Amino acid sequence: MMVLPVLVLFLSMTIYPFAFMIWSSFRQYDLSKGAETRFIGLANYFEIFSDRTAIESFKFTAKLLAIAVPIELMLGIGVAFLIRGVRGEKIIRSSLLVPMMVPAAVSGVAWKMLYNYAFGPVNWFLSLFGVSRISWLGNMNYAQLGIILIDVWQWTPFVFLMIYAGLQSIPQDLIDAARVDGADWGRVFLHVEFPLLWPLILVALVLRIIDCLKTFDIVFMTTWGGPGAATHTYSFYIYKVGISFGWNIGYASALSVLLLLVSMLLVNVVFRLVRMRQQLGFGGEER
Amino acid sequence: MEEVYLMVREFLTIVVALLAVAAFGAVKISVLCSPDNADALKWLAREFMKQNPDIQVEIVPLSWELLYPKLLQDLRSQAGSFEAFTYDVMTTGAVSFGLEDLGEFMKKYASLLPADFDIDDFIPQVLEESGKWQGKLIGLPFYNNTMLFYYRKDLFEDPKLRQAFKEKYGRELTLPVTWEEVKEIAEFFTKKFNKNSPTEYGIALMFPRTHTLFYMYLLFFGQYSNAPLGIMKHGTADLEYGEYFTADRKPAFNSEEGLKALEMMKKLMPYSPDPLGSDYGETIEYFNQGLVAMVPQWTGPYLIFKSTVGAAKVGIIPMPGRSVSGQWALAINKFIPEDKKVAAFKFITFATSKWADKQKFLRFAVAPARMSTLKDPEVRAADPRVPALEVTYVSQTHRPRIPEEPRLEDITVETFSKILAGTLPFSMDTLNDLAKKWQEVLGK
Amino acid sequence: MRTILRVFRYILIFVCLIFFLFPVYWLVITAFKPSNEWFTWPPKFWPTQLTFSNFFGAKETEVFGGTTGSIENIFPYLRNSIIVGISVSLIATIISASAAYAIARYKVGGAFLAEWIISIRMLPPIVSAVPLYVIFSRLRLINNWWALILSHLVIVVPLGVWLLISFFREIPREIDEAAYVDGASTFETFFYVIFPLSAPGLAAVAVLSLIQSWGEFLLALVLTNDARAQTLPIFLGRYITGWRVAWGPLSAAGIVTMLPVVVFAILAQRYLIRGLTFGAVKG
Repeated sequence: MMVLPVLVLFLSMTIYPFAFMIWSSFRQYDLSKGAETRFIGLANYFEIFSDRTAIESFKFTAKLLAIAVPIELMLGIGVAFLIRGVRGEKIIRSSLLVPMMVPAAVSGVAWKMLYNYAFGPVNWFLSLFGVSRISWLGNMNYAQLGIILIDVWQWTPFVFLMIYAGLQSIPQDLIDAARVDGADWGRVFLHVEFPLLWPLILVALVLRIIDCLKTFDIVFMTTWGGPGAATHTYSFYIYKVGISFGWNIGYASALSVLLLLVSMLLVNVVFRLVRMRQQLGFGGEER
Repeated sequence: MEEVYLMVREFLTIVVALLAVAAFGAVKISVLCSPDNADALKWLAREFMKQNPDIQVEIVPLSWELLYPKLLQDLRSQAGSFEAFTYDVMTTGAVSFGLEDLGEFMKKYASLLPADFDIDDFIPQVLEESGKWQGKLIGLPFYNNTMLFYYRKDLFEDPKLRQAFKEKYGRELTLPVTWEEVKEIAEFFTKKFNKNSPTEYGIALMFPRTHTLFYMYLLFFGQYSNAPLGIMKHGTADLEYGEYFTADRKPAFNSEEGLKALEMMKKLMPYSPDPLGSDYGETIEYFNQGLVAMVPQWTGPYLIFKSTVGAAKVGIIPMPGRSVSGQWALAINKFIPEDKKVAAFKFITFATSKWADKQKFLRFAVAPARMSTLKDPEVRAADPRVPALEVTYVSQTHRPRIPEEPRLEDITVETFSKILAGTLPFSMDTLNDLAKKWQEVLGK
Repeated sequence: MRTILRVFRYILIFVCLIFFLFPVYWLVITAFKPSNEWFTWPPKFWPTQLTFSNFFGAKETEVFGGTTGSIENIFPYLRNSIIVGISVSLIATIISASAAYAIARYKVGGAFLAEWIISIRMLPPIVSAVPLYVIFSRLRLINNWWALILSHLVIVVPLGVWLLISFFREIPREIDEAAYVDGASTFETFFYVIFPLSAPGLAAVAVLSLIQSWGEFLLALVLTNDARAQTLPIFLGRYITGWRVAWGPLSAAGIVTMLPVVVFAILAQRYLIRGLTFGAVKG
């Protein structure tokens, strides 16, 4: 079949990184020490558990996931309903998409300026309400809040887009039928729109979980993981270990394997909880 | 007979290499550098190409954070993507394995070295610290950077302010030599503690969770560890391990001096705008906008301050406490073909020659690595910082240059950041813990 | 009552717009500010005079601050980003469509293949940096557009496949069968029948692939060395020096980095909206 060679090429390009990652996680492979590797069994994995920074970065990533993602979902859904049918919908819609399109490195620069302690617009805006200057990059709690805020800013448009797309594709006759049956917009939402949107919301949730665990660019550009290890996301820590201070590939691979396992676990949990594998494009069942 | 044979072989290799350079027309070399060095290198490349039309030099700037990983990866994989590059002083040990031994190279190609190169003209400590590793010469010093103390001369000389200071503190407002003196002045210039202060904050300190904090610590630690009492306890630091270690190569910061340094930093924080969240970019802007009266910074920002605050208002003195060195050197990639090495060698010797050293200081504020530049009357007349630099080069502290340095930096900065933020206890135990982690990293 | 709700609704929308657009506005406006206005108190929301020097800069670049004075040298990086981005976008669409079609229609690989493809997205790019470097240096493709194109494909295709599998499932088999009956081969069926019907989905994949490839930064760092193949995100780093962060030119570079993608996405948003349903919303 026509697809086979392409698929084979693609698979081989993806299998190699996976295999390499697993292979090197069992080895001492550190470019700052030498180009040779050495088998050391599970030593890298054991080290993770005594690595305080790794644990803190895990905690912050969990915090990010637990706070930012639900906000993004709710806000995205809310905004989709908010602007539906409003005048100037198309322009508003286009504007709302912008944060999603801006490369993370660029948004990092923008937010770094916004969060400036002495001259940043955010602190200026807060000062209008009598709030004294906040150290967005230098205070542990505010730095965490700051990163969460950037994440919400960046990804809500994505959720918004998906839900909005979903809303657009709901056939009007279903809504009309419900209306004819005397339903007000509350019931229409609950019994027609929401159930139809539910699978889409789940897809958004899964995608956000996967991507949130990989958050790196915004931390790199703004707080650099500080103060202390307060805003270290897990992927940022992998970057530091695996690239920044000298390519400790073995340890970074072990950390990545862990990340992968957690990712898969979370996604499977979501799917299992909702038993919608099939509907979302997995499983071989034909409808 | 053997010797003659070897000499002939060497000679032939050189001839072939030189012929290759000539025969294959333009040899192209690319020089990887940090943005700090890019302007000067680009101009030097242009001048070099005028005199050497058969060599094409391309300067590739890469941000500081990405430069070291990129270099390390390239050298380990022996890919030879860059013929020459600038490396930051603290990564000397880590990259040394991939750098061409310039001492040997100079012996082999003695004819290529310009007659007036005069390698002894380099400031000895600079040559040792940025160019040598374990006895071998692997780099030529290019940017002999160090930190200076900038302050608002106009405010310090204002008679009304001087009077107010005398009344409050019982002494004249003198230029500070120790951090304790800085503290009083900083308090005086902070509006929260002195309603009549012309500036909102006294001093712009940068204690962010990046490599910046690692060297900022030395400004304070150096005051205590390099004082006579400190030297008695820790010994004199060597240029391979620096002031973070004692003379017998044990961590030095888990000591009374180390704790005092952190205390001093903490004491100064209230007089500084957002020290834990500010890095270079921020503190320079704070000084530019007149938010602060003092700022410890590298040599480069001086040219910015001249144009924003005005040359008349910017005063410069050696760092209170101690300064810290931050040198860049030019080196040749070991894993490239011989003809490219020759071309690269020509370029780096050109870029670090007496003429280049002087010109790049005058035009680009790239701090000089040669004694002749410092003594040159034209230079001394053009830049008021030379006397401060001369003092600083001798007394400054040094970071470790060992291969484990980047890793040590990160764990240290994290601990210090937490101590200053208050989430780790301010105690010897914390420092001992850190020292233990250092031993682990060094032991592996 | 209704009017109050309506007004309230518009106020909310306005607040949302401010929140989502202000950071971008700030970036754009900083690019037009002279250096003494980048950081002021109160912040200047409009420069006293629109400055273009961050874009076009001084004639001489070999002066102090020349490299960071403007974005003059951006062109090669822009070119590289465009070439890599468009190639990734086109090729990803083709690959995703082929794979998704095979999986949706012929259940190639069954559940396992689909899951495998999605799991690839979970891999942090950092960890694939070294193996990809090894592959490409063996193939002598380092510092070459193809290294980036192929690596970005790995990152980008999983989402595309997922999106399209559901999309293709929406198209009833009868259409395929009708085409066969008319004598079309598998390829022709795909190309002339399915392709046009799934245009929104394909467009969505194309746009999303472009966005992801454009902003990718780690692999670009590792796999490329200089202006011949480096992309825009790496170019941004050079404005951070030891004597100043050149916020103005950095913002200017930021604008150039984001403009093509934003414009393209806005133009294609109609398709994005039609295509991003993952076939999940059924009538």
